[in-house]
Amino acid sequence: MKKTSLLLIIATLLSFTFEASAKKKNKQDLATTQWEYEIEPAIGQARQGSCIVKVWSYAKNVELASKQAAKNAVHGILFKGYGASTDGSRIPAQHPLVPDLQTELDNKAYFDEFFKDGGPYMRYVSLINNGIPNPNDLIKISKKLYKVGIVVTVRKDDLRKELENAGIIKALNAGF
Amino acid sequence: MKKFLFICLALVCLSVNAFSQAKKPIIMVVPSDLWCNQNGYMQEIDENGDISKFPDYKKALQENADLLLVISKINELMAERGFPLKNLESALKSLEITEAETSLYTSHNGSMIKESPIDRLKRSAKADIWMQLTWTINTVGPKRSITYNLQGLDAYTGLQIAGASGTGAPSFSAELPVLLEEAVLQHMDNFNYQLQNYFNGLFENGREVSIMIRAWDSLEYGLESEFDGMELTEIIENWISDNTVGGRYNLTDATENFMSFEQVMIPLFNEKERAIDARAWLRGLQKHLRDQYGVDSKLATRGLGFAQLIVGEK
Repeated sequence: MKKTSLLLIIATLLSFTFEASAKKKNKQDLATTQWEYEIEPAIGQARQGSCIVKVWSYAKNVELASKQAAKNAVHGILFKGYGASTDGSRIPAQHPLVPDLQTELDNKAYFDEFFKDGGPYMRYVSLINNGIPNPNDLIKISKKLYKVGIVVTVRKDDLRKELENAGIIKALNAGF
Repeated sequence: MKKFLFICLALVCLSVNAFSQAKKPIIMVVPSDLWCNQNGYMQEIDENGDISKFPDYKKALQENADLLLVISKINELMAERGFPLKNLESALKSLEITEAETSLYTSHNGSMIKESPIDRLKRSAKADIWMQLTWTINTVGPKRSITYNLQGLDAYTGLQIAGASGTGAPSFSAELPVLLEEAVLQHMDNFNYQLQNYFNGLFENGREVSIMIRAWDSLEYGLESEFDGMELTEIIENWISDNTVGGRYNLTDATENFMSFEQVMIPLFNEKERAIDARAWLRGLQKHLRDQYGVDSKLATRGLGFAQLIVGEK
């Protein structure tokens, strides 16, 4: 009887932990879709067709922010683009791959699947330095909020081709 | 019977697909006149004492490896986007071969190929959109940087339809080709973004072309000649207004001898869903003048976006 009770308590605690973790994750995903991140060009040598960006994510702890960085980076390249660098590296601004915001709403099912945890978006992004932020890129905003800058590489040409093949955006030669 | 119907249906679908593709513009990368002048790739032509300078592309391509690298890089990136460009060097070589062949061909009876001065003039490297390239090297002490400027110019309207420019980060050690390659890679996406917007506009609003109407001197009153109580100028303008997308055109100049239309928005497809260009579109006016008023005319063209109708006779 005691053993059964103990098992029940452990199961309940575990379910609470999982639920809490899932809630945190959902909250982070919501932050991504609500543009609660910043993206800027970063200095570095990316291979042709890729770009290096620094993504600033907001989360309760550093680990969550780091985990969300890859998703935010791909989301940023797709829907936000970034401005020109301001640190003297003279990297030009980039337009988003999906310039029309309505496209995201029209293809919600596709993007939900694309951005699910471990979803296809992972194929187009790599974390630099294993997603460990530079100490200067770790900012404590309040008691329960961190702003964390992670540098990632996004294979934007492959990402564009994926969207072109899926019919989400038009190829340059479409209609000719 | 079912099989026959299926084949018919497939053929109809295929033909619709084949005709629903708009005419693809030819794009070519060329160094700008400024770059050619700064780097000594100009040729001078003496026209009765007036010295005119023209860019010498052949010399530039034969002597400047950096230019070849930049053109090749741009061509490579555009091909990756599914839009291969016409290569300037190949176009120039092809022209030379055509010229040599034209001068050597003779028939069994000793006849030469018929060619007018206009035909010879038209035998030049052509594109519908020019990608005009300029770069300058900036030196500050031991540091070097590149100012890069790529302009997409509509060959007929002269409009800049896309552009990307900027100065790269200064470097102590990087070689010039590396700096140039970096500049091309950094700016190409922004250029293509604008080019894509231009193409989107093309599909929405039609193709913007220039049209010139002239009169042969055999037409006594030129374009002011009257037919059915209307001057030719009026007949022509009415037809253009009726056949442009949204009636959008701009008559920039008109006399009794010529009418110059710019920003003429023509549809990409005719009523048979066939892709058309300025020439095919203006042929409608040629037929209209002949069928309705018995006026003959000669139709000439320059690429997708410029056509000229010379009214009065063939």
